[in-house]
Amino acid sequence: MVSIKTSYTKIKEMIGKEVSIDELGNLLAFAKSEIDDYVEEEDMLVIDIKTSNRPDLWCAEGMVREIHGILGTKKKIPFYEVEPSEYKVVVDPELASTRPYIACAIAKNIDMSDYHIKQFMQLAEKIDQSYGRKRKRSSIGMYNLAMIKSPIDYKVIDQSHEFIPLGYEEKMSLPQILEEHEKGQEFGDIVKEYGHFPILLSADGLTLSLPPIINSNDVGRITEETTECLIEVTGTNYETVNVILNILCQTIADHGAKIFSVEIDYPKEILDRKDINPNLELEEIEIDIDILNKYLGTNLSVKKASELIEKRRFDSVSHDKSKLTVAIPPYRKDILHWVDISEEIAIAMDLNKIGPTEWKVLTTGSLLPETESENKVRDILLGMGGIELLTNTLTDPDILTLNVNIKDRELVRVENPITKTYSVLRDQIYPVLISVLSKNTHESYPQSIFEVGEVAKITKKSVVTQTNAAFFYADADASFEDAHKWLEFLLKLLITSYKIEKLEHPSFTEGRCGKIIINQKECGIIGEIAPGVLEKNQIWVPVVGFEIELPLIPILQCRIKETY
Amino acid sequence: MSKPEKIISLPTEAIEIYKIIDKEKKISIKEIERITKLDRGKLEYFLNFLVSNELISRLSVVRHLISLIKEGRDAAEKQLIERRIVDVLKENKNIHFANLAELIGCDKKEMNAGIGLLKKNDFIKIEKGVITLAKPDAEINANLQAIIEQLAANEKVDTRDFDAILLERNLVELAEVKDTILETLISYNEVKKKIKQSSEISRLSPNMIRNGTWKDVKLKEYNLEVSPPAFYGGRKQPYAQFLDMVKRKLVGLGFQEMRGPLVELEFWNFDALFQAQDHSAREWSDVYRVANPKRGFLPKEKYVSLVQQVHEDGYDTGSKGWRYKWSPEKSARLVLRAHGTSVSARTLVDLPVPSKYFSISRCYRPDTVDATHLSEFNQAEGIVTDPSITFRDLLGILTTFAVDVAESDNFIFRPDYYPFTEPSVELSVVDPNIGPVEFGGAGIFRPEVTRPFGVETPVIAWGLGIDRLFMVKHGITDIRELFSHKLEWLRTAGIS
Repeated sequence: MVSIKTSYTKIKEMIGKEVSIDELGNLLAFAKSEIDDYVEEEDMLVIDIKTSNRPDLWCAEGMVREIHGILGTKKKIPFYEVEPSEYKVVVDPELASTRPYIACAIAKNIDMSDYHIKQFMQLAEKIDQSYGRKRKRSSIGMYNLAMIKSPIDYKVIDQSHEFIPLGYEEKMSLPQILEEHEKGQEFGDIVKEYGHFPILLSADGLTLSLPPIINSNDVGRITEETTECLIEVTGTNYETVNVILNILCQTIADHGAKIFSVEIDYPKEILDRKDINPNLELEEIEIDIDILNKYLGTNLSVKKASELIEKRRFDSVSHDKSKLTVAIPPYRKDILHWVDISEEIAIAMDLNKIGPTEWKVLTTGSLLPETESENKVRDILLGMGGIELLTNTLTDPDILTLNVNIKDRELVRVENPITKTYSVLRDQIYPVLISVLSKNTHESYPQSIFEVGEVAKITKKSVVTQTNAAFFYADADASFEDAHKWLEFLLKLLITSYKIEKLEHPSFTEGRCGKIIINQKECGIIGEIAPGVLEKNQIWVPVVGFEIELPLIPILQCRIKETY
Repeated sequence: MSKPEKIISLPTEAIEIYKIIDKEKKISIKEIERITKLDRGKLEYFLNFLVSNELISRLSVVRHLISLIKEGRDAAEKQLIERRIVDVLKENKNIHFANLAELIGCDKKEMNAGIGLLKKNDFIKIEKGVITLAKPDAEINANLQAIIEQLAANEKVDTRDFDAILLERNLVELAEVKDTILETLISYNEVKKKIKQSSEISRLSPNMIRNGTWKDVKLKEYNLEVSPPAFYGGRKQPYAQFLDMVKRKLVGLGFQEMRGPLVELEFWNFDALFQAQDHSAREWSDVYRVANPKRGFLPKEKYVSLVQQVHEDGYDTGSKGWRYKWSPEKSARLVLRAHGTSVSARTLVDLPVPSKYFSISRCYRPDTVDATHLSEFNQAEGIVTDPSITFRDLLGILTTFAVDVAESDNFIFRPDYYPFTEPSVELSVVDPNIGPVEFGGAGIFRPEVTRPFGVETPVIAWGLGIDRLFMVKHGITDIRELFSHKLEWLRTAGIS
């Protein structure tokens, strides 16, 4: 999800009529967006856009483009003239393995009022951040055309090269920018991985920018006085840099700017042809109307489908009664398949007007046998007076080790936790129950608690998920006998014979702990929690209980689920 | 107090309690609780007999409980400063003022206080800095010392005469304790003969049934006004109970359950769902990665290679694909299941037609835990397939969920985006107070998702925000309550 701020007044101006906030909210839904907040005093709208694959929608202009289509005030692909310019970019073959692609265009007669600069910068930043994968895949630059001489060099340069980065007063060398400039610190890793420095230079040697880090303080500075600028996108993917350039040109052209093309002179190591940007050649996709109708459950004619898709700002032509050729606007690269067009048509029809069908796929429903088995165990434990718990499976490693006096062991650990509190998957449940008891010492005793829940373990062959059941009892009079009688009750009802063998376990009191054996297999533990553990958890009454692995009880149909 | 005329009938327990109170004459209710081990509810019940028969009185009091603070405990151990000075003087006859503090082992301030006190009471004389005892045989503050030592030993002690001085000398602190004091009005011996173990008894005993004495007694009428003792029976966790209900509803609608592992291969979590390997949802900040082992093994070669093709060029689906070099290493990485759709992806292998599946699965997302975010949550989701199924059927399924699961007939559809479905729809249920609340979403699996697994029929994928629904229904505003550790809530939360 992407969130942008814009002006309510400007949006209404662009739509060309008065719309209330509620109406606007309804219209924005067609652009997969919704109003998150409206601050009336500041004329500010905060809009959330749900798509991660439609950067053209991440600005007011893009959303209004869709709204015009829905309102019927405009249809088909928006058109703007592109005239050729003298400008040319020469790309260095050295960049082939690092950041080979660049797309450029020139915009003249631009309105660079404060509001527009901010909106445009916001769009560029959102695209860099999300679609450009934090500038790794692509990054946008904008320059004062008046200071640039053609041909522009996009090349690798020696690290001794110096220029004044935007917002600074002193010249800095390239490594210095990476170390000292805040943008260098933020995005420097991208360039460090390249092992060389890409640079954009004007024919007279002036620096435009160090992509994807920072513009220069002169050529790379856009002010309210700027009327002509160079827009540039560099990146690792040809299609990405080009669609972003198209989005930017469309957005700026929507405000009456004139767009001029730039020639990109690629070496054969990168692209075996010259490229003229922006490339507004339309991609086409063919729709079979019968297949489309079968997919959507509709009964559209080719003509109707054509009207609907044009409302979504596509072009279309039809040569026969069953086929429709749809042309995709150059600012969209999210159309991979005709099913993507089917969605556009469904949206144009209005999802709330298409009409749902009655429930029709008749099948027999059922719970999995393992869920049924778990429910049986839950029922027995409830009958024993247990209060059921549903706790986090992602927990604090201390709860599973230190707090219950057991050694660290192989656990499913998260590589990128937000906090240690949620950084490891539990491999058994009783430590979590001890933690729950320790938080409830102000509540009346006795306390009987249980959980039937999933745990994860690393085995020799895989990582597995299974369900365990743990039942614990805390009371002034609690003793082994209590845990024993409940285990006996549970396993008797489950028609399972078992025995308990003596076990020494650091969580439990010596001589008052055992392992539960079923079919010669160890499948659980029973005992009195060691006083040292109780003290550590500030629990001031004896605690007894057991934990048992449900897949190892033959009568139950619980399974161990392997990840691979 | 006149002696009672008539026979007093009391339950046995009340008689026992009467004897205890009589023995002490005056006793705190807490003390009786301790001695009898009766819980407060029962105890009150029996005390009621004694009070109503005017055998005892009960009085709520606020007691001032005196307890030693550090200075007091020091005095108990080492003696009060003035006594220590006297002891030293007794041994040494006369001492220069300047040496005294060192000899006693106290600080100057404390010593000055002791000297002042002794001088005021003419116990000592000071001439030219030399201190001598004026009353060599007298003891100073012996009673006070005794009291302090008794307090230190936790003995029962009447401090009333000394409270002022103890406080003034900063040896103790005073706490207010609410208590109920019970006092005998008539001694047990005086009324003993008139007391009859009540023929009006409070509870029936097995013996009474067996030996027929029940015919001679009357069961005491139960006081219906009295609150019963607290009781907490075994019960289901309220949210788990809600999830059980959702499962029952889905089963009723003909859905079969499916389940998958907590730790998932990126293959099932992302690649099988046609999420490109550089998709932002796969980034560090959006999914928990497993530290060790970092990778597992990919499933059957045929699926892996078709998923690879569909990513790289669309395979034979008619899609353009993502046009990049797909990496099996990346796909074999392990993550904590980020969404329930991975369970659906696994189910696509050998998918029966027609079929309807659901799963309620624990999913994980690296969010900072607060009132609206959890690091793990439950997702209800599933798939429906049939050769005849269309997008309008998808709207029909969502309608059923709104009506049958969310129990609302006011709902709206809005366009949505999921990387693995097209078209995609969001379902919002309109709450009269809050407005539209997002409740679920659905879409038709892209052919790039189904084709590699040989599924030829359209597959509708859907998901429901059950955490949110439960919270709205229960008026819960803090999502952390769902996995609550609070026994009070777990014991007493109402069932909706």
